[in-house]
Amino acid sequence: MLEYDILIVGAGGAGLYAALWASQNPNLKVGVMTKVYPTRSHTGAAEGGINAALGNVAPDNPEKHAFDTVKGSDYLADQDAVEIMTQLGPQIIYDIEHRGVPFSRLEDGRIAQRPFGGASFPRTCYAADRTGLVILHTLFDQALKQGVEFLNEWFLLNIIHNGERVLGVTAWDIRNGGVHFIKAKAVILATGGHARMYWNRTSNALGNTGDGTAAVLRAGLPLKDMEFVQFHPTGLRKTGILITEGARGEGGYLINKDGERFMKKYAPEKMELAPRDIVARSIEREILEGRGCGPEGDYICLDLRHLGEKKLMERLPQTVEHARVYEGVDPVKEPIPIRPTAHYSMGGIDTDKYGQTSLKGLYAAGEAACISVHGANRLGGNSLLDILVFGKIAAEHAAEYVAGVEHLPTEGSEYVKKEEEFIKSLMNKEAKENLAKLRKEMGDIMASKVGIFREEKPMVEALNQIRELKERAQKGLAVVDTSKRFNVNLIQTLEFLNLLDLAEVTALCAIERKESRGAHYRLDYPQRDDENFLKHSIVRKNEDGSLSHGWKEVVITKWQPQERKY
Amino acid sequence: MNQEKAVLKIYRYNPEVDKEPYYREYEVPLDKAQTLLDALFYIQENLDPSLSFRFFCRSAVCGSCAMKVNGISRLACKTPFKNLVENSQGRPIVVEPINFLPVIKDLVVDHDPAFNSLKELGTWLEPKKPIPEKEYRVPPEEVKQYERPTNCILCFACYGSCEAVMDDPKYAGPYAFSRVYRYVLDSRNDEEHKKEMVKKAMEVGDIWSCVQCQKCIYVCPKGVRPAEDIQNVRGIAAEYGFKDYPGVKKLQHFVDWIYATGQINRLALPEEVYGVDPTPLINKFRERGAEVWEVPKPLPGLLEFRDLILEVMKEKKPHLDIDFHHVRKIDKRVEEVFKADVCTKVTQHFEEKKESFFQRFWKKLGEFFGTS
Repeated sequence: MLEYDILIVGAGGAGLYAALWASQNPNLKVGVMTKVYPTRSHTGAAEGGINAALGNVAPDNPEKHAFDTVKGSDYLADQDAVEIMTQLGPQIIYDIEHRGVPFSRLEDGRIAQRPFGGASFPRTCYAADRTGLVILHTLFDQALKQGVEFLNEWFLLNIIHNGERVLGVTAWDIRNGGVHFIKAKAVILATGGHARMYWNRTSNALGNTGDGTAAVLRAGLPLKDMEFVQFHPTGLRKTGILITEGARGEGGYLINKDGERFMKKYAPEKMELAPRDIVARSIEREILEGRGCGPEGDYICLDLRHLGEKKLMERLPQTVEHARVYEGVDPVKEPIPIRPTAHYSMGGIDTDKYGQTSLKGLYAAGEAACISVHGANRLGGNSLLDILVFGKIAAEHAAEYVAGVEHLPTEGSEYVKKEEEFIKSLMNKEAKENLAKLRKEMGDIMASKVGIFREEKPMVEALNQIRELKERAQKGLAVVDTSKRFNVNLIQTLEFLNLLDLAEVTALCAIERKESRGAHYRLDYPQRDDENFLKHSIVRKNEDGSLSHGWKEVVITKWQPQERKY
Repeated sequence: MNQEKAVLKIYRYNPEVDKEPYYREYEVPLDKAQTLLDALFYIQENLDPSLSFRFFCRSAVCGSCAMKVNGISRLACKTPFKNLVENSQGRPIVVEPINFLPVIKDLVVDHDPAFNSLKELGTWLEPKKPIPEKEYRVPPEEVKQYERPTNCILCFACYGSCEAVMDDPKYAGPYAFSRVYRYVLDSRNDEEHKKEMVKKAMEVGDIWSCVQCQKCIYVCPKGVRPAEDIQNVRGIAAEYGFKDYPGVKKLQHFVDWIYATGQINRLALPEEVYGVDPTPLINKFRERGAEVWEVPKPLPGLLEFRDLILEVMKEKKPHLDIDFHHVRKIDKRVEEVFKADVCTKVTQHFEEKKESFFQRFWKKLGEFFGTS
């Protein structure tokens, strides 16, 4: 039986950084479990940059950064946690720089910073247009240096606990097949986001299915702010693959079917460079009101032709390549079909500012966690910072916790047996439903009814339809491939079941929040309502499978909510 | 082949169940797939759910989906399906796992050996002391130098295409040496650690096995150029003074002889690299009536002209670090063979520097061409 003091689930930015700090103590047995290999994690897709108040390009301080973050969150972020994040920002940047991250530099050799959405000063540190990739690979190289132990291609099944403290996890060994119980004094969940619930309209990787978040829900623990999902304005129509904000930064136009630069109606000053949620809503409105491009009018155009081939290839080579390969469109000659794409999950596992959940020994960090530092809307560049800061904090707290506890005498065979029975039941079921079909239905329901513009009736319909899908899956979705080795069919089925649970919760929380705030916009409640809804939504699953919804206070220290104007 | 459908012939193998690998054909409608990865999903979702392959980001940044397509290693998510079908010209598209890594199932191979190479070579940063309170100061020109190798997504397409891997199972792989190069260029890296990495690249990674076939450059989906990085690391090995390796000795031979005579010397090469005496070979050729010159025969004045060029190079490109001591050794050998006085005056030029460089240059040029 595998046994660890600290088991980290997920090897992206948060998981790897937590591992680096946890393994500094040679007396701790630390393991990192990932369902892929560490360098495949979605942190590697981040392009824009990582924020910190270094003040290298303009005078800046953590307090200004904190205010921008709180305002960006539409005042839903917990201000004490935000302050911790922005205070630690500079030291975290210096730390990863000392570990080898190849940041882009100023002439004098200091780390370069650039302006980004919602920031009052240029504070986004970057490495060309692949900041996430180099951070991920640098942290991985450091993990090799520190001899971090990895369990690669192991899939998280459930969190095992005794009501008071965590005992470990059950997991499926993808390569060889088979259920295992992994005993651990502390577990840090860093399993990433779940925007894949919008299956066909997301920028996320295929595996961003919120496995840790769903496991926490199954364990009867609370999730927070699940209704808040960020839609990035410019995703390629066919695939949802991200087209960077930089394309608009370099002068790209957003055009509707009449050839109009429609942003002048919604943000006459900032035009295409208004904040993400505003641009996303504008695009969506144009499409819904019939001014979309193409035979089905289901997209608008990002026109880069006027930039000229030379500038395009110099400044936006990644964009040109993505458009050519994934949309079949050459931006030099034609406008790019664009739609808002589900991008980031502000909501997730309810934790405090140390990454602790309400179960002793269970922590969460990264996109999977909701502390909350992003509130109702996340600023670009804050996610990479969040995952590192709170990955470190969770590791430090977990290390302290495990120093004072012993392993409980659990052998785990009963948990393993339960999982094996469940998986067997999936395989023995009569296959009446098709996984891809159900997944598409879930994606369509969520995108059309719990998307950018929300309203009571469609959301209630969505909730019921999701519940119907769950029943259909229960009755007729089977795992058709019964091989033990590398069973992709099994993994994808389990991931889909996770997404269904999270979709249900998202719809429910969206219905309960009767206001508009940040990324959650309701046509029937278009105003922000601080009096009644300046609070986090909390949801948990009861023993009988029903959901309980409640609220939790927002921590306000310095900044009283004001009107959010840009 | 029908305009509307394409045939994929896919490698299947489940070691648990199958005695040996086999191929299965599947038909995929053209309009159902933008990329090869889409086509594989189509098969998995509609025709055969037991097909195993890796995937994650589907946008060419995670490196999961490298596989061999019609014999060439590529990322499935970055292979446009329509082009692939057109280029296959009516034949089935053959999809197989990438070469040289053990197959786990179908298109899934074991990546552990490939990741382990990195650990063995020590490709990471050991921060140079003293560690500054804020960031190290790194000039932007330096970051530009390792921008290319840091684009590597560890997809191992290069590994699966590498001639050296095919021949030498110990060979670490092109991506591993690109990473070594990246970390050697980094001025924040501790000097001793850099030397260790280069030493390991030779002793553990067998960097000298690379035959410069350039296939790694051809297949890399991110524009990394491992063959070039390998050449550079080899040069750095010589600079670090790792004299005792055949590869370094060969590099040194190239440098010395080309500076001295403008060409390498194939008779002297085995001797200088492996200590093999060329005399038996020379005698054999002479026995059969061939005229063998152990060194190229210089034209009168050519070597002086060469000295001027070397002097320019040394001044204009100081980083080349031309070692005249080696050039002088070769000159002495040429002297011995031709019983001629060819020892030239480079050292004199450096010591005297009385005339200006251009005055001496035009004078020598005139002498060489027989004008005054």
